[in-house]
Amino acid sequence: MDDFALGVLTNIGLFSFLALSAYLLLVAGEMSFGQQAFFGIGAYAGGMLTALYGWPLPLAALAAMALGGLAQLLVGLPTLRLRGLTFAMATLAAAEMFRILFELFHWRVERGGELAGPDGTQGFRGIRWIFEHGIEPADYLLLVYALLAAVLALLLWMERSRLGAALRGVGLDPELAASVGIDVRRVKLGVAAAAGALAALGGVLFAHHNTYVEPRNFDIMLGVHSLAYALIGGLGTALGPLLGVALDIGLLESTQYFHGYRMIVFGGLVAVLLVFRPRGLLDERMVTWIRQRFS
Amino acid sequence: MLADLVQNSLDGLAAGAAYALLALGFTLIFGVLRRANLSYGPAIMFGCYAAALTHQHFGAGLFMLALVTIAGAVLAGAYVERLCFAPHREGSAIAAMVASFALWMQFEELAALVLPGHLYAFPMLHEGAPLALGAFTFRIDALVLLAVAILVCASLWWMLYRSRFGLAVRAVIEQPTAASLAGINVPRVLVRVFALASAIGGVAGYLVVASNGQITPMLGMWATLKGLLAMMLGGLGSLPGAVLGGLALGLIEAHSQWYLGPQMRDLIAYLLLFVLLAARVPWMTSRSAS
Amino acid sequence: MSLLAVEDVVTAYGKIEALKGVSLEVAEGTITCLLGPNGAGKTTLMMTIAGILKPRRGRVLLGGTDIAGQAPHAIVARGIALVPENRLVFPAMTVLENLQAGAFQRRDKAAVAEDVERMFTRFPRLKERHAQQAGTLSGGEQQMLAVARALMSRPRLLLMDEPSLGLAPLVVEEIFRIIAELHRDGTTIFLVEQNAHMALKVAQHFFLIEQGKVTFSGDPGALAEDEVIRRAYLGSAQQ
Repeated sequence: MDDFALGVLTNIGLFSFLALSAYLLLVAGEMSFGQQAFFGIGAYAGGMLTALYGWPLPLAALAAMALGGLAQLLVGLPTLRLRGLTFAMATLAAAEMFRILFELFHWRVERGGELAGPDGTQGFRGIRWIFEHGIEPADYLLLVYALLAAVLALLLWMERSRLGAALRGVGLDPELAASVGIDVRRVKLGVAAAAGALAALGGVLFAHHNTYVEPRNFDIMLGVHSLAYALIGGLGTALGPLLGVALDIGLLESTQYFHGYRMIVFGGLVAVLLVFRPRGLLDERMVTWIRQRFS
Repeated sequence: MLADLVQNSLDGLAAGAAYALLALGFTLIFGVLRRANLSYGPAIMFGCYAAALTHQHFGAGLFMLALVTIAGAVLAGAYVERLCFAPHREGSAIAAMVASFALWMQFEELAALVLPGHLYAFPMLHEGAPLALGAFTFRIDALVLLAVAILVCASLWWMLYRSRFGLAVRAVIEQPTAASLAGINVPRVLVRVFALASAIGGVAGYLVVASNGQITPMLGMWATLKGLLAMMLGGLGSLPGAVLGGLALGLIEAHSQWYLGPQMRDLIAYLLLFVLLAARVPWMTSRSAS
Repeated sequence: MSLLAVEDVVTAYGKIEALKGVSLEVAEGTITCLLGPNGAGKTTLMMTIAGILKPRRGRVLLGGTDIAGQAPHAIVARGIALVPENRLVFPAMTVLENLQAGAFQRRDKAAVAEDVERMFTRFPRLKERHAQQAGTLSGGEQQMLAVARALMSRPRLLLMDEPSLGLAPLVVEEIFRIIAELHRDGTTIFLVEQNAHMALKVAQHFFLIEQGKVTFSGDPGALAEDEVIRRAYLGSAQQ
């Protein structure tokens, strides 16, 4: 496999974490414009821990996930009572604040004779842990997909459990869910923390794949993209967002065929697709149909 | 000190007038459809690019360019309405919004195709020196912007509260089912309001681009974000609120930029929105719908 | 000939059929009443006749012309006005504007102004409050406004969906007095009611609907009132 293909596949894996975090919130009935912030927090925190303080990547990833989960929990506490567009705008406001804080964030420390670390709008260079530890791109690809498989297994298991039923119930009809004894607020806060942690994990992996991040990486475009991935792929199963990411990055990045017109083609396809399948390709009905066919 | 305060307020009001127009368009669409149109700014950008192209090829005058901008914004708006909102009228608000985001991508790439550079000059509304009045200076383009914004608001008010069409628009905003039972052709009102909102956006886009004297592909995102922000600050769904929200945003930005710098300017606007939403101040959540 | 004839209408929400082949007729100049328990399909039928819901099958004939599936504003133009369940006035508009909205399709300004005066004579409370926002009116006043708004289109057939819902007994009596008055002035009325006792007093004909089907049709005397009321609230035992 050449480096380009490896890069595309790795990116599909990385952004799948972000799409899954948007998906979790959508299933719980909330539309977030702000998942890019927690992706960014993961990228900065994980990158700083390995590049500046010499932490091993696994430990740094865990810490970054905890931070991302905590951050989204804190954002969620005052905002999860809001519905629809007001919640989306509150998350957007929070995410843009984080992006500007990244722009204002200077944390330069001396490492090996030169200054390293986040440098405001100049970005954060030299997140080189995987190169310093001799991890080949193919190995990193495997690592990303192994983590993704683990997360997916967990999510798919959860969707079949009582917790998954509670989650969908909260998303479809919170009043009804509350009337059958589900603590709607606790479920939503739990989902927020999980979504923040997932996005942060994607961010850590992104930073170490790219070796360089800058505040602009984490703007509103990334957030709405992740929302679009989840919706195109389908809200019926956790596999949906992956399909969305694969369609976008896979088809667009790998086919140079539509060069110069690809967003025009792709944007039109998405809009038309949503006319016919407003809850995505793998929506609840499709998932039920597939289950009946293959079980 | 006092002079700075007054001068900043004047500049802020001019910027706020443009925000108010953008927020009015957003609010009109949200009011009748209960959906956010993320492609609102990019459709305005489409109109501005059409005008920039017209200028390059035919060198048309200011008034002609304004007409081209508005016509382009309405045309692009019609495309967005047909593909993103007409099919999801009774269905999913999220699907409509994501579809409008997909078209945003289209408009951005189209802009890059027709004018591949990052920045193009656009004929200025006024090239001369600003008007000096005592200690204060008035930019002529800012005065034009304010005057046009006031004119648009007054016309819109007259249309909504004094015309038959306005009665239908208010009825659809308040109670769509009852409006159709009263004999109002609701789908037709929706299409016309969409066109009206796009035209108002076109006016705002033209004034901003012609005041800056330049056009970039960032215009689409800029217009969508500022319009959304001003609409939310004024209370989702209220037209007078949209105007106040726009003016407030302009004033806050002008002062915070002067005293704290451009990054703090944006930070403070978002912080204010977040705090107001989190505190659930009454005017912001009373009409919120999914 | 009957003014309205509903023939074998089926209306569904997704897979669930709320109307399973409803047929009934409303004769010109009468008050016809539709009774039945909650969830039997009464509001669905009203919404279908008014065009808010599209029937999956069947015909809705107004004066012999099939209007099934037409848009609501087109049906208003043909002469049907619905006073919807829960009134649905325009809360932030004034009483006067609500009335003007009801006459939206009429271009004869002078005649509309005359009709507004006529409504103010019939409903003096609305005149007192003509400049007030409709959302500030009491429930009974809002109901009167909803009736007046529907009349502003000069309908041949007035549909009323539960006009007494949630109103105090004295107000309910006033509403029924108005219904009788409208009938005396020549309006044809098709009325959905939970208050079977009051409805049977004013109606010339009634239908019972249970689980999406018409199960009885007759004059108010055709069935003992306690039997009607029992079935209107509970549904018939044999179902």
